[in-house]
Amino acid sequence: MRDVSMGQYYPASSVVHRADPRIKLVILILYLVTVFFCNSFFSYAFMTVFVLITILLSRVPILKVLKSLRLILFILLFTTVLMMIFYVDEGSAPLAEWGIFHIYLNGIYAAIKLGWRLMLLVMMPTVLTLTSTPTELCDGLESLLSPLKVLHLPVHELALIMSIALRLIPTLIEETDKIINAQKARGAAFDSRNPFKKIKAMIPVLIPLFVSSFRRADELADAMDSRCYRGAKGRTRMKKLKAKAGDFIGLLFWCVITVCILFLNYNWFGWAFITMLSI
Amino acid sequence: MPFLEFKDVEYSYVSGEDELTKALNKVSFAVERGEFIALVGCNGSGKSTLARLANGLITPDSGQVLVDGMPTTDKSALFDIRKKIGIVFQNPDNQMVTTIVEDDVAFGPENLGLPQDEIRARVDWALKSVGMQDYATSGPFRLSGGQKQRVAIAGVLAIKPELMILDEATGMLDPMGRREVLDVVKKLNRDENMAVIMITHFMEEAAAADRIIVLNGGAKQADGGKELFDTPEVFESAGLDLPLYVRLSRRLKGIGADIGCPLSSDEFARAVANLKGEGEE
Amino acid sequence: MIEVKHLSFVYSPKTPFTTQALFDINLKIETGDFFGIIGSTGAGKSTLVSHFNALTKIQKNSGTVIVEDMDLSAKKVDLNKLRAKVGMVFQYPEHQLFADTVLADVMFGPKNIGLSGAEAEERAKRAIELVGLNYGEIAERSPFELSGGQKRRVALAGVIAMQPEILVLDEPTAGLDPRGKRDIMELVLRIKESCPTVIMISHNMDEIAEYCNKIAVLKHGRVMGVFSPRELFGSEELLNSCGVELPLVTEIAVKLNELGVNVDRSVLTEDELFEQLKKAVKDA
Repeated sequence: MRDVSMGQYYPASSVVHRADPRIKLVILILYLVTVFFCNSFFSYAFMTVFVLITILLSRVPILKVLKSLRLILFILLFTTVLMMIFYVDEGSAPLAEWGIFHIYLNGIYAAIKLGWRLMLLVMMPTVLTLTSTPTELCDGLESLLSPLKVLHLPVHELALIMSIALRLIPTLIEETDKIINAQKARGAAFDSRNPFKKIKAMIPVLIPLFVSSFRRADELADAMDSRCYRGAKGRTRMKKLKAKAGDFIGLLFWCVITVCILFLNYNWFGWAFITMLSI
Repeated sequence: MPFLEFKDVEYSYVSGEDELTKALNKVSFAVERGEFIALVGCNGSGKSTLARLANGLITPDSGQVLVDGMPTTDKSALFDIRKKIGIVFQNPDNQMVTTIVEDDVAFGPENLGLPQDEIRARVDWALKSVGMQDYATSGPFRLSGGQKQRVAIAGVLAIKPELMILDEATGMLDPMGRREVLDVVKKLNRDENMAVIMITHFMEEAAAADRIIVLNGGAKQADGGKELFDTPEVFESAGLDLPLYVRLSRRLKGIGADIGCPLSSDEFARAVANLKGEGEE
Repeated sequence: MIEVKHLSFVYSPKTPFTTQALFDINLKIETGDFFGIIGSTGAGKSTLVSHFNALTKIQKNSGTVIVEDMDLSAKKVDLNKLRAKVGMVFQYPEHQLFADTVLADVMFGPKNIGLSGAEAEERAKRAIELVGLNYGEIAERSPFELSGGQKRRVALAGVIAMQPEILVLDEPTAGLDPRGKRDIMELVLRIKESCPTVIMISHNMDEIAEYCNKIAVLKHGRVMGVFSPRELFGSEELLNSCGVELPLVTEIAVKLNELGVNVDRSVLTEDELFEQLKKAVKDA
């Protein structure tokens, strides 16, 4: 069985893999915000180039990243088609018309931009999960959120819960499998098409699963207590996250990209060449 | 002052509807540093309850549990008590906190608030002590049951406790896993002078200990050295079997061939061979 | 009767994680056998037996399993009939209990194979009594408040109530204390009176040596051979080539021989070894 706790991590040795997970998370947020400021074809192309460079640097096969688009293919088609047929452009004549549906040239542009934006929004998070282990992401998140401790937010506990969940999910999947087999051996049928029957058939699986999950939780709590766990208080870490110079250069680089996009969007100084690019 | 002391400890738990089941009844004993004790008894004899009382996971209804003089009822002492007494539990899958072996072993020392390089050193040392250094960066899913339990032992070891309790830690393992764990525990007791309480119903494992405590129905039935095997009634009435070699030597004695009380199959074979040699001379 | 012919099995075929679990397995388990399957963890024992009631589907061109008159590689297999015929008790079976009452839990199997409520209850009653529990006392209790040993019996009853002709047991005594182990094995012998064929996976060589009449040794997904216990445990070469642990009785017999005490090394029980010892000591 593929180890689920590793998520979709794609092991490789690259600068993107080695980068500090906190910096990667910050860049991701910056990136997502930036994508929302993109409004011209040029700005989308500009962003796409940098996404492709990142993928190349990460040494993850580009097909792996594109595969993630398959999951949103339906939403992608659905929203773009809707955008195309319902877009109303008062200032020009429709290219085609069927009853309440109209297609305008600007509608086609808007639909392409929407689809493009969705793709950009999905690709970069995929790169992040392909190049970082869930544990790294947990640690990164804990570290990033740690200032919120001042507000009495249980940051450490949340990170620990995530880490334990990652640890136990494969065990629970295995356990579910065992219980399903055991009940099948007792003649249980799980292949009924009737949804009510289907739910009823799951009871002999869910109850033992709950019982064992509670037992596991109890035992794990005892094991953690026995190993001197008392919350975040006084706790140190063996592996401390250390951002290296390269990480900050990467961050700086993405900041520059964000500023470029903002320029393209707002054209504060009214530069003519930017006006030309903003279709 | 003994390191761990149970004084007339009683403990009951709620079972079913409003039913109280007495798990331990006036149990007293003391453990010194460096001892290797086997705690035996059948399922439901109160063995696991006893383990959880020892480091204050639960507290006695009456009587006292003292660790290095500190009562487990003193909440402020719990942290220090747990630094001194570690427990390895039965199910290897339910005691790992993280998805990477070395991170898991680091969990204890991290809780102690040790500096980073000290944690690293302890983790490396603990993994080496249980022979799992080659698996430091792997996930627990590729490990066998015996290997997982060795990681669990390393996780406790990294806290450097003075007493390690193994609560049926070999109960879910195959014979090979059981042997791996037993060998590691013996070595730790010998080389690190760490006291061990091995809770088990495998009498062959109990025969490896220096001292045996027998629990029966929540009460202490016997407490002594290997001479306990001379009075097999204490084990049999507690629902336990004597090891095969002990049973055989007793039956041999019954037909007039006294070979003493061998405590491993090797010793047994040697004793029979000696007896035969003497007879032939 | 179960016949396994050229059975192979591959996990996650056509992915980078492919592992072959079984290689060309051939076995014949006859009615009346107490058939032991041994081998180290990961040898393929559980994968093999999960084929016997079609929990694992036979892959294309990977041989077949024939249970009585049913060919399990056929396109359509009557699963209800098969699963009523082959009872399967997994490791720690008490972890599958789910119903409010012991009776309802034990009736689950019989009801699934289409028996009426009254008939299912009658069978459940008989099964609960067969596993040595007091029906009147226990039937309406929640299975979750029973002791560990009782829970395991209830789980066994749940399989027995389907009145299988073949019973497959995966480590039936795991985690039990010595008395519990003995009780369960005695219970299995009692069950065998009405369910003639028993197949048992176990790591406990003492149990295998004492109860089985045939033993298949699995190693890395291959059958190393099927032997009688005396053949297997009496032969050093076989044990070594198969990588089998010795039962304690055999271990002592072997050690005695090494030290020049001649005892038959194919002994299987404590009593047999004692008789041999008696002779050896008397000779001296």
